[in-house]
Amino acid sequence: MTEKVTVEIVTEVDIVTARKLGRKEAKIIGFNKVDQARITTAIGELAKNIFQYAPVGKIIIERIVKDDKKGVSITSIDHGPGILDVQKILEDGDSYGGGLSSVKRLVDTMHILSEVGKGTTIKVEKWLR
Amino acid sequence: MEQLKRDYKIILSNYIHNQNESNLYTGQNFIKRLIQKNVSPEEVISIHKQALEEIIEDLPESTIHAYDFLIEVMVHFGLKLKEHQSLLMKQEELRIEMEVAARIQNTLLETTIPNPENLDIGMVSVPLRKMNGDYVHFMHDHKRYLSIAVTDVVGKGVPAALCMSMVKYGLDTLEYANSNPSYVLEALNQLIEKSVDDSMFVSMCYSRYDLETDIFTWSSAGHEPPLYYDSREKVYYDLESKELLLGILPEVKYSQHDIKLNENDFIILMTDGVTDFRKQENFDPRQYIKELALSCRHLNAQEMCENIYKKLQVLHNYELEDDFTIVIIKK
Amino acid sequence: MDVNIQFRKEGNLLIGFIEGEIDTFTAPTLREELEKIHLSTEISVELDLSKVSYIDSTGLGVFVAFYKRATKENANLKLVNLSSRLTRLFEITGLSELMDIEEGGISHASI
Repeated sequence: MTEKVTVEIVTEVDIVTARKLGRKEAKIIGFNKVDQARITTAIGELAKNIFQYAPVGKIIIERIVKDDKKGVSITSIDHGPGILDVQKILEDGDSYGGGLSSVKRLVDTMHILSEVGKGTTIKVEKWLR
Repeated sequence: MEQLKRDYKIILSNYIHNQNESNLYTGQNFIKRLIQKNVSPEEVISIHKQALEEIIEDLPESTIHAYDFLIEVMVHFGLKLKEHQSLLMKQEELRIEMEVAARIQNTLLETTIPNPENLDIGMVSVPLRKMNGDYVHFMHDHKRYLSIAVTDVVGKGVPAALCMSMVKYGLDTLEYANSNPSYVLEALNQLIEKSVDDSMFVSMCYSRYDLETDIFTWSSAGHEPPLYYDSREKVYYDLESKELLLGILPEVKYSQHDIKLNENDFIILMTDGVTDFRKQENFDPRQYIKELALSCRHLNAQEMCENIYKKLQVLHNYELEDDFTIVIIKK
Repeated sequence: MDVNIQFRKEGNLLIGFIEGEIDTFTAPTLREELEKIHLSTEISVELDLSKVSYIDSTGLGVFVAFYKRATKENANLKLVNLSSRLTRLFEITGLSELMDIEEGGISHASI
């Protein structure tokens, strides 16, 4: 774990900031243009979820290394309403979780920790191939 | 992937040098391979961009930016496509589930048309979708009495089918072929009223036929009125009752009526799917059915039903909008 | 085809003008709209069906459910200006004996 960037998401402008920083990191790590676009889209969706459903929250972007693989992890932490049924929200066609099922498709792994009334932490990782 | 990229570059390069139909055709076939390999739209753009950069050495900076922009916006197309594919799979799961359910319903609601001496009975019952919201229940004790219940549950598809199972269970438990139709409707009404929600109901025409006296006794709960053709007077009678649907009020009394059938008389029992002509406002479907049945009354009851069904299908341009059930009994 | 309903209040009388075809697809919309109506002993509801060209059995279910709720809340409910086709539907289902229904010739609904 070498580099770590944190963006507080309060207004819509912050979504763009998070995307910008994410793309920069993805480029440095060595992701190609398509994956850069995917990582940025994932960050955008996560940030948008915070912006729409939680009063405050943040996006943390980290460079990660495991064995000889390099990658990026994005963590979204909010103190919003929380998710009652994670599996349901990841189903296609769910309007509220529509963004999250997209994120899941854009990355390699996804972990969701949520408590109703307290908030949600989502951590996703994408590895360089 | 690398192989695909090389192949694409060749195809693109060929086309750039020679814009003929054959090169275009090759390109379209190539995209099929990409789709099979699950290559996303944004990747296709990226492959194109890379190939172009290699074919044309001094590609302007602005074009490269334009491609990067396209890659970015195509990410969402790719996501929608994946979502669509996953919904298709889900749809397939539902379809299979539905087929199983329909098979179970068919077994559950299977009915055999009785074949007594001196009375000819025919039936056609076709669901609009997989599950049938119409149901015909026959009972023949192989003695004097025979009973026919023609039922239509509100709505179509699965909700109707679930409710229908209950109706069938109700009919099975309380029915004897010689029960009074009014009694059967009263008992069923209580059962259904207790078990369904406020917007659900069932219409039913319950009839009993006395094979010794040829007396047809019927009761109707909000059902499409049956038609009775008196062959001696050569007239039809609409068997109207105006009595309430099943499942709306807890205590409802039903009346019952007798008709004596003579040689060549017939009765048509049906559901509203037969008379529903939504798109033709100034058309009297019951009149049409009367004429249709008359024109084929030389046939046996089963053939008459099939004939009417076929004619109505044509009239509806093969787009019937409801479950369709018709039963004819003919003396 | 769609269904829509518009309300007009005249004192304790609430008139709902329904327009369109009420079938399996549109019935849920109408049900939702009718569920929003606050019913009580003092309120009379009149549903004007002059611009309803078609009702299937699911649509009928919506009126049955609304009738049941009105009865429970002791509110008055009347269906008015039904075409002869709709009147017949309410008659053969026995609902015309139960509910207050008025056949209407020409539409005098103004929305």
